[in-house]
Amino acid sequence: MSATPRVERIRLNYVNSKPAISYERARIWTESHKRTEGQPVAIRRAQAFYDTCNELCVNIFSDELIVGCTGEFRKCGILTPEFSWTWVDREMDNFATRAQDPYEMTDEQRAFVRKEIFPYWEHKSLEEAFLAQTSEETKRVAVDTGFVDTDSKWRQAVGEITADYQDVLFKKGFGGIKKEAEAYLAELDAASLDGMEKMEFYRSIVLVCDGIIRLANRYAEKAREMAAEEADETRKAELLQIAEVCDVVPENPPKSFREAIQFMWFTQLGGILSENPLAWNPGRFDQYMYPYYKADVDAGVLTKEDALELIECLWLKLSEWVWTISANTADFFAGYNQFQNLTVGGRTRDGKDATNELSYLCLQATEDTLAHQPGLSVRIHPDCPDEFLAAVTHLVSKGTGFPAIHSDNAGYQMLINAGYEPEDARDWSNCGCVVPHFRKTGEWTSAANLNFAAALEFATNEGKSRLSGKKIALDEKDPRTFSSYEEVENAFFKQFAYLIKQAVISLITAQRLHVEMVPRPFMSACIEDCMKNGKDLTKGGAKYNIGPVITGIGIAVVANSLAVIKKLVFEEKSVTMAEIIDAIDHNWEGYDELRAKAQAVPKYGNDDDYVDDIARKIGNFFYEEVHQYKDIHDKNFLSAFMGISNYLPTGKVLGATPDGRKATEPISEGVSPYVGTDTSTPLAAMRSAAKLNQDIHSGGTLLNLRLNQDLVATKRGQANLGAMIQSYFALGAFHVQFNTVSTETLRKAQAHPEDYKDLLVRVAGYSTQFVNLSKSMQDSIIARNAHETF
Amino acid sequence: MKGRILQLQPFSVNDGEGIRTTIFLAGCPLRCKWCSNPEGFDSKPKTAFYEKLCIGCGLCTTVCHLHGGINLNEPSQRAMCDGCGACADICPKQAKKRMVVETEADEIVESVKKHRLFYARSGGGITFSGGEATMQTDFLDELSEKLYDMGFHLAIETSGYFDFARVKPILERMDQIFMDLKHMDEEKHLEYTGVSNQKILENMKRLGEFDAEVIIRIPVIEPVNATEENIRKSGEFVHTYLPKAKMELLPYHKFGFGKYEALGMELPNEDFSAPSEERMEAFRSILEEIGVEVVSYR
Repeated sequence: MSATPRVERIRLNYVNSKPAISYERARIWTESHKRTEGQPVAIRRAQAFYDTCNELCVNIFSDELIVGCTGEFRKCGILTPEFSWTWVDREMDNFATRAQDPYEMTDEQRAFVRKEIFPYWEHKSLEEAFLAQTSEETKRVAVDTGFVDTDSKWRQAVGEITADYQDVLFKKGFGGIKKEAEAYLAELDAASLDGMEKMEFYRSIVLVCDGIIRLANRYAEKAREMAAEEADETRKAELLQIAEVCDVVPENPPKSFREAIQFMWFTQLGGILSENPLAWNPGRFDQYMYPYYKADVDAGVLTKEDALELIECLWLKLSEWVWTISANTADFFAGYNQFQNLTVGGRTRDGKDATNELSYLCLQATEDTLAHQPGLSVRIHPDCPDEFLAAVTHLVSKGTGFPAIHSDNAGYQMLINAGYEPEDARDWSNCGCVVPHFRKTGEWTSAANLNFAAALEFATNEGKSRLSGKKIALDEKDPRTFSSYEEVENAFFKQFAYLIKQAVISLITAQRLHVEMVPRPFMSACIEDCMKNGKDLTKGGAKYNIGPVITGIGIAVVANSLAVIKKLVFEEKSVTMAEIIDAIDHNWEGYDELRAKAQAVPKYGNDDDYVDDIARKIGNFFYEEVHQYKDIHDKNFLSAFMGISNYLPTGKVLGATPDGRKATEPISEGVSPYVGTDTSTPLAAMRSAAKLNQDIHSGGTLLNLRLNQDLVATKRGQANLGAMIQSYFALGAFHVQFNTVSTETLRKAQAHPEDYKDLLVRVAGYSTQFVNLSKSMQDSIIARNAHETF
Repeated sequence: MKGRILQLQPFSVNDGEGIRTTIFLAGCPLRCKWCSNPEGFDSKPKTAFYEKLCIGCGLCTTVCHLHGGINLNEPSQRAMCDGCGACADICPKQAKKRMVVETEADEIVESVKKHRLFYARSGGGITFSGGEATMQTDFLDELSEKLYDMGFHLAIETSGYFDFARVKPILERMDQIFMDLKHMDEEKHLEYTGVSNQKILENMKRLGEFDAEVIIRIPVIEPVNATEENIRKSGEFVHTYLPKAKMELLPYHKFGFGKYEALGMELPNEDFSAPSEERMEAFRSILEEIGVEVVSYR
């Protein structure tokens, strides 16, 4: 239940309405581009942004205190045809009926975009350029395959940026940034390539600053118009206050908590309109907002309750806009998730405990609103106050899956390993789901999804897909003729390295195209060193440029499968390689006894070194192999074991595996055990996961555990959970999250979704409404092994 | 030294402070009619058979050195079985399970210390339970000394039926002692547990000699001991002889019933049940009125 009746009304509207697609942004963007043909691409994009801010409808919805919308609908998704329009064209007729993340869209809307918008972008979109420049070989492995997927980097904008409120936005305001850009322009001339490019960059910055200020001013005008017509005196006063706030921010630095929140939302909105991003992160909200909160509370102009109401309004704003994505992408990132990660707690830049009253209010706001955004993350350091850890485990006990819980130390170490200075590394926040990140960074954090189990399939099927029979990867000998375990393992590593290489090729292709086609002036304005260097984010303008992250999926399935082959075929010699291959070729049908034997071999997630050592070896190999490649900024690629919902689509394309898993069933996520096989205790699951040298995987790691709700129902149970978390982190792990909803509740929600519209569950790296997940996704969440007993 | 245990249960949170590993030691002089760990009556190695999990693959029969069949719960098979556990090790479905195993104290130490971080962070440690934890006195003496020397927080759950002089050095190592008080009435105690309560009450009186925190537990069972009179007498006894001790009331549960079946044993034919939550609350109030602090590890 929200803090106030106002927020509760907004919340109920959010829970009960379906998102709708608005083409307004795409229409304005397209018309603008028709007018700027021939101009440099950065200027064209900045001008399109300005035009959008100048023309897009401005709506202030009922009860709102924080204003600014992405289109005419309150729950609204936008289109960005410059990245890709073909999938929208192909899929939009089914938007309302698709299984995962449906959107409302009318026939009139569809007719309009097909006639007025899409034709302009034909042969001009990022997607088309990417496909034109990608070889057949890479496509066979890495385009819409489920083996390697990179399409969130060429069908969508990248996002994955954290605005620098601390050092840029709240210090200068967009008015100040504009002045800075103008000052640089006054010094530069175009008599060199460098000068010319910098001038283009600063001109693009001036345009986007003008744009976002114009948008805020239009909201001020709108609020005054509405106030003039408003009969209700209370609302009239609220509207006038909205106008006053929008007069000030984001042009100027905020002077109050209220202005700072509105500033933040305008920045968020600017990013959304500029590219429809995923993981456009609010970052360390409790840190940069605290000075405003403290000053207002001390001055007696803000109460804790007022602040909570504003925070809850923001939470719902962050949840109401929708990331418009293809059905394929939605399988990987299910649940209307925008991945706007907001991190609280942790340590300050100089190493002190950073928790403050806002850290607690943020946890409270998520508990109250059950909003699926922001992606609420906490940093827990070894000396974290007991009260904060208790507040965290209290929220866990509510079963929302929030917050995502991270080790402060591991996050710091991951950033140090990626080349950050210590003070910056201590100031990390999360990006997207579970990526340790820092606000002065240009990075692709979820660049490729790499299906580990596919490499095993190719190794044990002569380079072919077991389901389609098609040759996909490298040649390999008949698996029945493998004569030692080492031979099997090497065959796996060979295919695995090949998949990594294809991922790298496809990402370098995409990176080059981003520089040429989709510079990011608005995002660049929010990042300090882009301004100093006179360089767009895509060109490496940020203080830190971090290589693209390749996310591994299915490490548990591969480790478990290799353990089966090692133990049964080559150690016990009770089964032949041919029998195992026949069994998985037949999807285990008619091989119940062999399957039972395979299932009885030690499984990752039970603190058994027999199989955990195999997992560790795969993890280390993954790091070494990925890390040797460099991106267009000469930065090493990074490895990760992130979650997202990618364990479903990657499973769908695979045949059965030697661990006993059947064809098309999901594989494993992050560093989590395979569903249902962590039969010991959560402590054992944690110990297994902590063996993987998590800190070398600077792109983040994810462990998902289900706990029976009874375990954390009491304060004592929650205290023990807090101890488990701290112990897991002391073992070197980075992240853990818990689903504590009972299986019974999930089944009820599946049967009667209308009664459970606000039931939040952890998917992987993020939480979303259970009823917004497809049936197969729901089933896989129910199947996660619940640790019922202590 | 080797001893016989029922199992190690890591991640126990109801047997003392914090997160603990409970070591269930085999053998018990009592025969409580409601017992939830009947595999611990004696310390003879034994193998359970969970018929519902069995897929009939017959792998177990290939390794049985006594040439037994699949269904261990046929009386003739059960009589023949020596509990060597070979069948449990090979069973792919865990339908056969070792219930009592012989283990070196050092092996137990190696296993329980894995979770030391979890104990330390939660204020937890190791709990000795059973069976009757003190029945294998020498083994417990060695095991508890090793773990004491390593600095673990130690707790024991005991029926109180032991030779005080012999068990005293063990109890001195404990941080927490949980002792059951099943009935104040000697006749009833004998009827339901097979032994008199005299030795137990005498031992209980002496628990004040130790530094450990003492918690006297009553498994509250209808119609055995769930009377106001019995609870009151118990509370008064504790309050008189152990003024610092706390008490915990544990409602009866049937979690152990599956094990009777799996061991081919007859189920307790008594009609036991747990009192309602209201009655449990009333019993707790009685103890509090007497001046006893009532605790819960739920």
